[in-house]
Amino acid sequence: MTASALYFVNWWTDTLIIGGLSIVTWVALLVLYQVADTQPIFWFALVLSLVVNYPHFSATVYRLYQSPDNIRQFPVTAWGLPLILFGAVGASFWQPDVIAPYFLMLFLLWSPYHYSGQTIGLTMVYARRAGFPIGRRERMALSAFVFSAFVYGVIRFQQTGSGGGFTDVYGMSVPAFPLPDWMDAAAQAVMWTGVLVFAGFAFVWCLEQKRLMPPIVLLPALTHFVWFVPGASLKSFWIVVPFFHSLQYLLIALVMQLKVRIDGVGGEHSWRRIGAEARRWGSRNILGGMLLFIGLPAAFSWLPLPLMTTAGILAVAVNIHHFFVDGVIWKLRDTATSSALMMNIAEFAVPAVVDLARPKVAEA
Amino acid sequence: MREAVAGVVLAVFAGSARAADVAAAASDPVSATPREAFLAAGIGTMIACGVTSFFLAGRVTERTHVALAMLVVLIGGFCLFTLFGLVGREIPVAGSLVLLGLIGLFKLMNQFEIRRKPTLLDK
Repeated sequence: MTASALYFVNWWTDTLIIGGLSIVTWVALLVLYQVADTQPIFWFALVLSLVVNYPHFSATVYRLYQSPDNIRQFPVTAWGLPLILFGAVGASFWQPDVIAPYFLMLFLLWSPYHYSGQTIGLTMVYARRAGFPIGRRERMALSAFVFSAFVYGVIRFQQTGSGGGFTDVYGMSVPAFPLPDWMDAAAQAVMWTGVLVFAGFAFVWCLEQKRLMPPIVLLPALTHFVWFVPGASLKSFWIVVPFFHSLQYLLIALVMQLKVRIDGVGGEHSWRRIGAEARRWGSRNILGGMLLFIGLPAAFSWLPLPLMTTAGILAVAVNIHHFFVDGVIWKLRDTATSSALMMNIAEFAVPAVVDLARPKVAEA
Repeated sequence: MREAVAGVVLAVFAGSARAADVAAAASDPVSATPREAFLAAGIGTMIACGVTSFFLAGRVTERTHVALAMLVVLIGGFCLFTLFGLVGREIPVAGSLVLLGLIGLFKLMNQFEIRRKPTLLDK
Protein backbone atom coordinates (compact mmCIF):
# COMPACT_ATOMS: atom_id res chain seq x y z
CA MET A 1 0.00 0.00 0.00
CA THR A 2 1.46 3.35 -1.03
CA ALA A 3 0.96 6.59 0.87
CA SER A 4 -0.91 8.07 -2.08
CA ALA A 5 -3.39 5.19 -1.95
CA LEU A 6 -4.21 5.99 1.67
CA TYR A 7 -4.68 9.77 1.45
CA PHE A 8 -6.74 12.09 -0.71
CA VAL A 9 -3.84 14.56 -0.80
CA ASN A 10 -1.01 13.57 1.55
CA TRP A 11 -0.40 12.74 5.23
CA TRP A 12 -0.22 16.34 6.38
CA THR A 13 -3.21 17.68 4.52
CA ASP A 14 -5.52 14.77 5.25
CA THR A 15 -4.53 14.58 8.91
CA LEU A 16 -5.05 18.30 9.47
CA ILE A 17 -8.35 18.51 7.62
CA ILE A 18 -9.92 15.30 8.85
CA GLY A 19 -9.31 16.06 12.51
CA GLY A 20 -5.82 17.26 13.44
CA LEU A 21 -6.69 20.92 13.14
CA SER A 22 -9.86 20.60 15.23
CA ILE A 23 -8.11 18.62 17.97
CA VAL A 24 -5.30 21.20 18.12
CA THR A 25 -7.93 23.98 18.26
CA TRP A 26 -9.75 22.23 21.10
CA VAL A 27 -6.52 21.90 23.10
CA ALA A 28 -5.61 25.54 22.41
CA LEU A 29 -9.05 26.80 23.47
CA LEU A 30 -9.02 24.58 26.54
CA VAL A 31 -5.65 25.95 27.64
CA LEU A 32 -5.88 29.56 26.46
CA TYR A 33 -9.55 30.48 26.15
CA GLN A 34 -11.70 29.39 29.07
CA VAL A 35 -13.48 32.75 29.34
CA ALA A 36 -17.26 32.98 29.12
CA ASP A 37 -17.25 35.69 26.44
CA THR A 38 -17.42 33.78 23.14
CA GLN A 39 -18.08 36.84 20.96
CA PRO A 40 -14.53 37.07 19.48
CA ILE A 41 -14.67 33.37 18.54
CA PHE A 42 -18.16 33.87 17.10
CA TRP A 43 -17.02 36.69 14.80
CA PHE A 44 -13.92 34.77 13.77
CA ALA A 45 -16.07 31.73 12.96
CA LEU A 46 -18.46 33.92 10.98
CA VAL A 47 -15.61 35.11 8.75
CA LEU A 48 -14.46 31.51 8.27
CA SER A 49 -18.04 30.58 7.41
CA LEU A 50 -17.85 32.69 4.27
CA VAL A 51 -15.05 30.59 2.83
CA VAL A 52 -15.72 27.16 4.37
CA ASN A 53 -19.13 26.59 6.02
CA TYR A 54 -21.34 28.31 3.47
CA PRO A 55 -19.47 26.86 0.45
CA HIS A 56 -19.87 23.39 1.96
CA PHE A 57 -23.64 23.75 1.67
CA SER A 58 -23.33 25.26 -1.75
CA ALA A 59 -21.11 22.36 -2.87
CA THR A 60 -23.93 19.92 -2.12
CA VAL A 61 -26.49 22.03 -3.97
CA TYR A 62 -24.04 22.45 -6.86
CA ARG A 63 -23.40 18.72 -7.04
CA LEU A 64 -27.10 17.88 -7.17
CA TYR A 65 -28.28 20.61 -9.51
CA GLN A 66 -25.24 20.90 -11.81
CA SER A 67 -26.45 18.05 -13.97
CA PRO A 68 -29.96 17.53 -15.42
CA ASP A 69 -29.33 13.79 -15.06
CA ASN A 70 -29.08 14.17 -11.28
CA ILE A 71 -32.32 16.15 -11.16
CA ARG A 72 -34.11 13.53 -13.26
CA GLN A 73 -32.65 10.77 -11.10
CA PHE A 74 -33.69 12.34 -7.78
CA PRO A 75 -36.85 14.36 -8.52
CA VAL A 76 -38.26 14.30 -4.98
CA THR A 77 -34.99 15.51 -3.48
CA ALA A 78 -34.49 18.10 -6.20
CA TRP A 79 -38.05 19.50 -6.33
CA GLY A 80 -40.39 17.92 -3.76
CA LEU A 81 -38.22 18.44 -0.71
CA PRO A 82 -37.50 22.15 -1.34
CA LEU A 83 -41.28 22.67 -1.66
CA ILE A 84 -41.90 20.99 1.71
CA LEU A 85 -39.10 22.98 3.30
CA PHE A 86 -40.48 26.15 1.77
CA GLY A 87 -43.76 25.30 3.52
CA ALA A 88 -41.96 24.77 6.83
CA VAL A 89 -40.15 28.10 6.37
CA GLY A 90 -43.48 29.80 5.62
CA ALA A 91 -45.05 28.28 8.75
CA SER A 92 -42.05 29.41 10.83
CA PHE A 93 -42.28 32.97 9.43
CA TRP A 94 -46.01 32.95 10.13
CA GLN A 95 -45.63 31.64 13.70
CA PRO A 96 -42.10 32.52 14.87
CA ASP A 97 -43.01 31.75 18.48
CA VAL A 98 -45.03 28.56 17.96
CA ILE A 99 -43.57 26.68 14.96
CA ALA A 100 -40.09 28.19 14.41
CA PRO A 101 -38.68 26.98 17.79
CA TYR A 102 -39.54 23.38 16.84
CA PHE A 103 -38.02 23.83 13.38
CA LEU A 104 -34.82 25.03 15.05
CA MET A 105 -34.94 22.24 17.65
CA LEU A 106 -35.21 19.71 14.84
CA PHE A 107 -32.13 21.23 13.23
CA LEU A 108 -30.19 21.30 16.52
CA LEU A 109 -30.73 17.55 16.92
CA TRP A 110 -30.37 16.61 13.26
CA SER A 111 -27.14 18.51 12.72
CA PRO A 112 -24.98 16.46 15.14
CA TYR A 113 -26.62 13.29 13.81
CA HIS A 114 -25.52 14.37 10.34
CA TYR A 115 -21.98 14.93 11.63
CA SER A 116 -22.07 11.38 13.01
CA GLY A 117 -23.01 10.04 9.59
CA GLN A 118 -20.04 11.86 8.05
CA THR A 119 -17.70 10.42 10.70
CA ILE A 120 -18.83 6.89 9.85
CA GLY A 121 -18.52 7.58 6.12
CA LEU A 122 -15.00 8.96 6.48
CA THR A 123 -13.92 6.02 8.64
CA MET A 124 -15.30 3.61 6.04
CA VAL A 125 -13.45 5.41 3.24
CA TYR A 126 -10.09 5.44 5.01
CA ALA A 127 -10.58 1.85 6.24
CA ARG A 128 -11.21 0.76 2.66
CA ARG A 129 -8.14 2.64 1.51
CA ALA A 130 -6.07 0.97 4.26
CA GLY A 131 -7.43 -2.48 3.45
CA PHE A 132 -9.25 -2.82 6.80
CA PRO A 133 -12.56 -4.50 5.97
CA ILE A 134 -15.54 -2.99 7.75
CA GLY A 135 -18.24 -5.63 7.80
CA ARG A 136 -21.54 -5.69 9.62
CA ARG A 137 -20.04 -6.29 13.09
CA GLU A 138 -17.36 -3.62 12.75
CA ARG A 139 -19.91 -1.15 11.46
CA MET A 140 -22.28 -1.88 14.35
CA ALA A 141 -19.50 -1.27 16.89
CA LEU A 142 -18.44 1.91 15.13
CA SER A 143 -22.04 3.15 14.89
CA ALA A 144 -22.65 2.38 18.57
CA PHE A 145 -19.64 4.51 19.48
CA VAL A 146 -20.32 7.37 17.10
CA PHE A 147 -24.08 7.72 17.66
CA SER A 148 -23.92 7.37 21.44
CA ALA A 149 -21.17 10.03 21.48
CA PHE A 150 -23.66 12.20 19.57
CA VAL A 151 -26.39 11.51 22.17
CA TYR A 152 -23.93 12.27 24.96
CA GLY A 153 -22.96 15.52 23.23
CA VAL A 154 -26.61 16.51 22.83
CA ILE A 155 -27.22 15.93 26.55
CA ARG A 156 -24.13 17.96 27.48
CA PHE A 157 -25.10 20.70 25.05
CA GLN A 158 -28.58 20.90 26.56
CA GLN A 159 -27.18 21.02 30.08
CA THR A 160 -24.43 23.58 29.60
CA GLY A 161 -25.65 25.52 26.58
CA SER A 162 -29.09 26.45 27.77
CA GLY A 163 -29.94 29.11 30.26
CA GLY A 164 -33.28 28.85 32.06
CA GLY A 165 -34.38 25.94 29.86
CA PHE A 166 -33.76 27.84 26.60
CA THR A 167 -30.95 27.89 24.07
CA ASP A 168 -30.22 31.01 22.07
CA VAL A 169 -30.10 30.20 18.34
CA TYR A 170 -29.97 33.05 15.83
CA GLY A 171 -31.42 35.34 18.48
CA MET A 172 -34.41 33.05 19.05
CA SER A 173 -35.13 31.27 22.32
CA VAL A 174 -35.32 27.59 21.50
CA PRO A 175 -36.54 25.33 24.34
CA ALA A 176 -33.87 22.97 25.64
CA PHE A 177 -34.68 19.39 24.75
CA PRO A 178 -35.67 17.68 28.00
CA LEU A 179 -34.00 14.34 28.67
CA PRO A 180 -33.88 12.12 31.77
CA ASP A 181 -30.64 12.00 33.79
CA TRP A 182 -30.01 8.29 33.21
CA MET A 183 -29.54 8.84 29.44
CA ASP A 184 -26.15 10.37 30.12
CA ALA A 185 -24.89 7.14 31.76
CA ALA A 186 -26.61 4.94 29.16
CA ALA A 187 -25.01 6.87 26.28
CA GLN A 188 -21.58 6.58 27.90
CA ALA A 189 -22.03 2.83 28.49
CA VAL A 190 -22.94 2.22 24.82
CA MET A 191 -20.16 4.53 23.65
CA TRP A 192 -17.39 2.81 25.62
CA THR A 193 -18.69 -0.65 24.69
CA GLY A 194 -18.68 0.35 21.03
CA VAL A 195 -15.16 1.75 21.17
CA LEU A 196 -13.82 -1.33 22.97
CA VAL A 197 -15.39 -3.74 20.51
CA PHE A 198 -14.19 -1.70 17.50
CA ALA A 199 -10.69 -1.46 19.02
CA GLY A 200 -10.80 -5.25 19.42
CA PHE A 201 -11.55 -5.72 15.72
CA ALA A 202 -8.76 -3.29 14.83
CA PHE A 203 -6.33 -5.13 17.13
CA VAL A 204 -7.15 -8.51 15.60
CA TRP A 205 -6.63 -7.01 12.13
CA CYS A 206 -3.23 -5.64 13.18
CA LEU A 207 -2.20 -9.08 14.46
CA GLU A 208 -3.34 -10.78 11.26
CA GLN A 209 -1.71 -8.22 8.98
CA LYS A 210 1.41 -7.94 11.16
CA ARG A 211 1.30 -4.17 10.81
CA LEU A 212 -0.17 -1.21 12.62
CA MET A 213 -3.41 0.32 11.47
CA PRO A 214 -2.77 3.71 9.81
CA PRO A 215 -3.88 6.36 12.35
CA ILE A 216 -5.90 8.18 9.68
CA VAL A 217 -8.45 5.32 9.82
CA LEU A 218 -9.19 6.07 13.47
CA LEU A 219 -8.81 9.85 13.22
CA PRO A 220 -12.42 10.62 12.14
CA ALA A 221 -13.80 8.72 15.15
CA LEU A 222 -11.29 10.31 17.53
CA THR A 223 -12.18 13.74 16.18
CA HIS A 224 -15.87 13.00 16.61
CA PHE A 225 -15.18 11.99 20.21
CA VAL A 226 -13.36 15.28 20.87
CA TRP A 227 -16.22 17.27 19.31
CA PHE A 228 -19.01 15.60 21.26
CA VAL A 229 -17.55 14.40 24.56
CA PRO A 230 -14.82 16.63 26.04
CA GLY A 231 -15.50 19.42 23.53
CA ALA A 232 -19.19 19.58 24.46
CA SER A 233 -18.30 21.27 27.74
CA LEU A 234 -16.37 24.07 26.03
CA LYS A 235 -18.73 26.64 24.57
CA SER A 236 -16.08 28.46 22.52
CA PHE A 237 -15.25 25.17 20.81
CA TRP A 238 -18.84 24.37 19.73
CA ILE A 239 -18.90 27.52 17.69
CA VAL A 240 -16.09 26.27 15.46
CA VAL A 241 -17.13 22.60 15.18
CA PRO A 242 -19.33 23.27 12.10
CA PHE A 243 -16.28 24.84 10.44
CA PHE A 244 -14.26 21.65 10.93
CA HIS A 245 -17.14 19.46 9.74
CA SER A 246 -17.39 21.60 6.61
CA LEU A 247 -13.64 21.45 6.06
CA GLN A 248 -13.76 17.63 6.08
CA TYR A 249 -16.61 17.75 3.61
CA LEU A 250 -14.93 20.14 1.20
CA LEU A 251 -11.86 17.93 0.88
CA ILE A 252 -13.97 14.97 -0.22
CA ALA A 253 -16.29 17.09 -2.38
CA LEU A 254 -13.30 18.64 -4.18
CA VAL A 255 -11.89 15.23 -5.07
CA MET A 256 -15.33 14.17 -6.31
CA GLN A 257 -15.63 17.31 -8.42
CA LEU A 258 -12.17 16.75 -9.92
CA LYS A 259 -13.14 13.18 -10.73
CA VAL A 260 -16.26 14.39 -12.56
CA ARG A 261 -14.53 17.24 -14.41
CA ILE A 262 -11.04 15.93 -15.14
CA ASP A 263 -11.25 12.17 -15.13
CA GLY A 264 -13.74 12.11 -18.00
CA VAL A 265 -12.75 10.89 -21.43
CA GLY A 266 -10.50 13.39 -23.20
CA GLY A 267 -9.97 15.58 -20.13
CA GLU A 268 -6.61 17.29 -19.73
CA HIS A 269 -4.65 15.79 -16.85
CA SER A 270 -2.26 18.26 -15.27
CA TRP A 271 -1.66 20.17 -12.06
CA ARG A 272 -2.54 23.34 -13.91
CA ARG A 273 -5.96 21.91 -14.75
CA ILE A 274 -6.45 20.71 -11.16
CA GLY A 275 -5.69 24.22 -9.89
CA ALA A 276 -8.03 25.81 -12.43
CA GLU A 277 -10.90 23.42 -11.64
CA ALA A 278 -10.40 23.84 -7.88
CA ARG A 279 -10.46 27.64 -8.21
CA ARG A 280 -13.52 27.55 -10.46
CA TRP A 281 -15.42 25.19 -8.15
CA GLY A 282 -14.26 27.05 -5.03
CA SER A 283 -15.26 30.49 -6.28
CA ARG A 284 -18.69 29.23 -7.46
CA ASN A 285 -19.34 27.66 -4.07
CA ILE A 286 -18.25 30.76 -2.16
CA LEU A 287 -20.66 32.76 -4.28
CA GLY A 288 -23.38 30.11 -3.89
CA GLY A 289 -22.87 30.03 -0.13
CA MET A 290 -23.24 33.79 0.09
CA LEU A 291 -26.44 33.62 -1.95
CA LEU A 292 -27.86 30.92 0.33
CA PHE A 293 -26.94 32.50 3.66
CA ILE A 294 -26.80 36.22 2.91
CA GLY A 295 -28.74 36.75 -0.33
CA LEU A 296 -31.74 34.62 0.64
CA PRO A 297 -32.30 36.32 4.05
CA ALA A 298 -31.81 39.71 2.36
CA ALA A 299 -34.54 38.78 -0.14
CA PHE A 300 -36.91 38.14 2.78
CA SER A 301 -35.83 41.16 4.81
CA TRP A 302 -39.16 42.87 4.06
CA LEU A 303 -40.88 40.47 6.48
CA PRO A 304 -41.93 41.99 9.81
CA LEU A 305 -39.38 39.86 11.68
CA PRO A 306 -35.90 40.58 13.02
CA LEU A 307 -33.35 39.86 10.27
CA MET A 308 -31.61 37.33 12.55
CA THR A 309 -34.86 35.38 12.90
CA THR A 310 -35.41 35.35 9.14
CA ALA A 311 -31.78 34.34 8.54
CA GLY A 312 -31.97 31.62 11.21
CA ILE A 313 -35.13 30.02 9.82
CA LEU A 314 -33.75 30.06 6.27
CA ALA A 315 -30.40 28.67 7.46
CA VAL A 316 -32.22 25.77 9.12
CA ALA A 317 -34.06 25.01 5.87
CA VAL A 318 -30.78 25.09 3.90
CA ASN A 319 -29.20 22.79 6.50
CA ILE A 320 -32.05 20.26 6.42
CA HIS A 321 -32.03 20.26 2.61
CA HIS A 322 -28.27 19.62 2.82
CA PHE A 323 -28.80 16.63 5.15
CA PHE A 324 -31.10 15.02 2.59
CA VAL A 325 -29.02 15.81 -0.48
CA ASP A 326 -25.91 14.55 1.26
CA GLY A 327 -27.59 11.23 1.96
CA VAL A 328 -28.61 10.93 -1.68
CA ILE A 329 -25.35 11.84 -3.42
CA TRP A 330 -22.76 10.23 -1.14
CA LYS A 331 -23.79 6.60 -1.06
CA LEU A 332 -20.61 4.54 -0.80
CA ARG A 333 -22.41 1.61 -2.46
CA ASP A 334 -22.66 3.70 -5.62
CA THR A 335 -19.80 2.66 -7.92
CA ALA A 336 -19.05 6.14 -9.26
CA THR A 337 -18.93 7.57 -5.75
CA SER A 338 -16.84 4.80 -4.25
CA SER A 339 -14.29 4.88 -7.10
CA ALA A 340 -13.86 8.66 -6.68
CA LEU A 341 -13.41 8.22 -2.97
CA MET A 342 -10.50 5.87 -3.57
CA MET A 343 -8.48 8.43 -5.54
CA ASN A 344 -5.52 10.59 -4.68
CA ILE A 345 -5.52 14.10 -6.05
CA ALA A 346 -2.18 13.48 -7.82
CA GLU A 347 -3.87 10.87 -10.00
CA PHE A 348 -5.77 13.63 -11.76
CA ALA A 349 -2.47 15.10 -12.93
CA VAL A 350 -1.63 12.04 -15.00
CA PRO A 351 -3.67 10.42 -17.79
CA ALA A 352 -6.31 7.87 -16.85
CA VAL A 353 -4.02 4.81 -17.01
CA VAL A 354 -4.49 4.77 -13.23
CA ASP A 355 -8.07 3.58 -13.75
CA LEU A 356 -6.71 0.14 -14.52
CA ALA A 357 -4.53 0.11 -11.45
CA ARG A 358 -7.13 1.46 -9.00
CA PRO A 359 -8.80 -1.84 -8.05
CA LYS A 360 -5.42 -3.13 -6.90
CA VAL A 361 -4.92 0.00 -4.86
CA ALA A 362 -8.33 -0.48 -3.28
CA GLU A 363 -7.55 -4.03 -2.33
CA ALA A 364 -4.06 -3.27 -0.97
CA MET B 1 -75.44 5.94 47.40
CA ARG B 2 -78.17 7.94 45.69
CA GLU B 3 -76.04 11.06 46.10
CA ALA B 4 -73.06 9.30 44.60
CA VAL B 5 -75.06 8.20 41.54
CA ALA B 6 -76.44 11.70 41.18
CA GLY B 7 -72.89 13.04 41.36
CA VAL B 8 -71.69 10.66 38.63
CA VAL B 9 -74.66 11.57 36.40
CA LEU B 10 -73.95 15.24 36.90
CA ALA B 11 -70.27 14.71 36.13
CA VAL B 12 -71.12 12.79 32.95
CA PHE B 13 -73.50 15.48 31.77
CA ALA B 14 -71.05 18.19 32.71
CA GLY B 15 -68.39 16.35 30.69
CA SER B 16 -70.75 16.03 27.74
CA ALA B 17 -71.57 19.68 27.93
CA ARG B 18 -67.88 20.53 27.88
CA ALA B 19 -67.30 18.11 25.04
CA ALA B 20 -70.07 19.83 23.15
CA ASP B 21 -68.36 23.16 23.76
CA VAL B 22 -65.03 21.79 22.55
CA ALA B 23 -66.68 20.26 19.49
CA ALA B 24 -68.37 23.53 18.69
CA ALA B 25 -65.08 25.36 19.01
CA ALA B 26 -63.25 22.76 16.92
CA SER B 27 -65.79 22.99 14.12
CA ASP B 28 -65.22 26.71 13.88
CA PRO B 29 -62.14 27.12 11.69
CA VAL B 30 -61.81 30.77 12.62
CA SER B 31 -61.16 29.88 16.26
CA ALA B 32 -58.42 27.33 15.42
CA THR B 33 -55.17 28.03 17.24
CA PRO B 34 -52.01 28.58 15.17
CA ARG B 35 -50.83 25.12 16.19
CA GLU B 36 -54.08 23.54 14.98
CA ALA B 37 -53.87 25.48 11.73
CA PHE B 38 -50.31 24.23 11.27
CA LEU B 39 -51.40 20.64 11.92
CA ALA B 40 -54.20 21.06 9.38
CA ALA B 41 -51.67 22.31 6.82
CA GLY B 42 -49.44 19.33 7.66
CA ILE B 43 -52.30 16.87 7.14
CA GLY B 44 -53.17 18.62 3.87
CA THR B 45 -49.59 18.28 2.65
CA MET B 46 -49.53 14.60 3.60
CA ILE B 47 -52.73 14.08 1.58
CA ALA B 48 -51.14 15.95 -1.34
CA CYS B 49 -48.11 13.62 -1.22
CA GLY B 50 -50.39 10.57 -1.18
CA VAL B 51 -52.48 11.87 -4.07
CA THR B 52 -49.32 12.70 -6.05
CA SER B 53 -48.05 9.18 -5.51
CA PHE B 54 -51.45 7.79 -6.62
CA PHE B 55 -51.55 9.79 -9.84
CA LEU B 56 -47.93 8.97 -10.64
CA ALA B 57 -48.53 5.23 -10.35
CA GLY B 58 -46.91 3.46 -13.28
CA ARG B 59 -45.19 6.63 -14.50
CA VAL B 60 -42.37 6.96 -12.00
CA THR B 61 -39.99 4.53 -10.34
CA GLU B 62 -40.67 2.72 -7.09
CA ARG B 63 -37.91 4.86 -5.57
CA THR B 64 -39.96 8.01 -6.21
CA HIS B 65 -43.04 6.46 -4.59
CA VAL B 66 -40.98 5.45 -1.57
CA ALA B 67 -39.53 8.97 -1.38
CA LEU B 68 -43.05 10.45 -1.40
CA ALA B 69 -44.04 8.04 1.38
CA MET B 70 -40.99 9.16 3.33
CA LEU B 71 -42.03 12.79 2.91
CA VAL B 72 -45.33 11.84 4.54
CA VAL B 73 -43.38 10.30 7.44
CA LEU B 74 -41.24 13.43 7.73
CA ILE B 75 -44.21 15.80 7.78
CA GLY B 76 -46.13 13.59 10.23
CA GLY B 77 -43.05 13.28 12.43
CA PHE B 78 -42.55 17.03 12.52
CA CYS B 79 -46.24 17.63 13.30
CA LEU B 80 -46.01 15.18 16.20
CA PHE B 81 -42.79 16.87 17.31
CA THR B 82 -44.53 20.25 17.50
CA LEU B 83 -47.20 18.59 19.67
CA PHE B 84 -45.08 16.40 21.95
CA GLY B 85 -41.53 17.72 21.56
CA LEU B 86 -41.40 19.10 25.07
CA VAL B 87 -43.34 16.32 26.79
CA GLY B 88 -40.06 15.34 28.50
CA ARG B 89 -40.41 18.38 30.74
CA GLU B 90 -43.36 16.68 32.43
CA ILE B 91 -42.46 13.02 31.85
CA PRO B 92 -38.66 12.55 31.55
CA VAL B 93 -38.93 9.03 30.09
CA ALA B 94 -41.13 10.39 27.30
CA GLY B 95 -38.32 12.84 26.46
CA SER B 96 -35.98 9.93 25.79
CA LEU B 97 -38.67 8.29 23.61
CA VAL B 98 -39.00 11.49 21.60
CA LEU B 99 -35.22 11.57 21.08
CA LEU B 100 -35.17 7.90 20.04
CA GLY B 101 -38.08 8.58 17.68
CA LEU B 102 -36.20 11.48 16.13
CA ILE B 103 -33.05 9.39 15.70
CA GLY B 104 -35.23 6.77 13.97
CA LEU B 105 -36.64 9.50 11.74
CA PHE B 106 -33.13 10.77 10.85
CA LYS B 107 -31.99 7.22 10.14
CA LEU B 108 -34.98 6.64 7.88
CA MET B 109 -34.44 9.94 6.06
CA ASN B 110 -30.86 8.86 5.45
CA GLN B 111 -32.35 6.29 3.04
CA PHE B 112 -34.25 8.99 1.15
CA GLU B 113 -34.48 8.42 -2.60
CA ILE B 114 -31.56 6.03 -2.80
CA ARG B 115 -31.27 3.02 -5.06
CA ARG B 116 -32.99 0.11 -3.37
CA LYS B 117 -32.23 -3.57 -3.63
CA PRO B 118 -34.37 -5.26 -6.29
CA THR B 119 -37.50 -6.75 -4.79
CA LEU B 120 -39.14 -10.05 -5.65
CA LEU B 121 -41.50 -8.15 -7.96
CA ASP B 122 -38.56 -6.78 -9.94
CA LYS B 123 -37.14 -10.23 -10.63
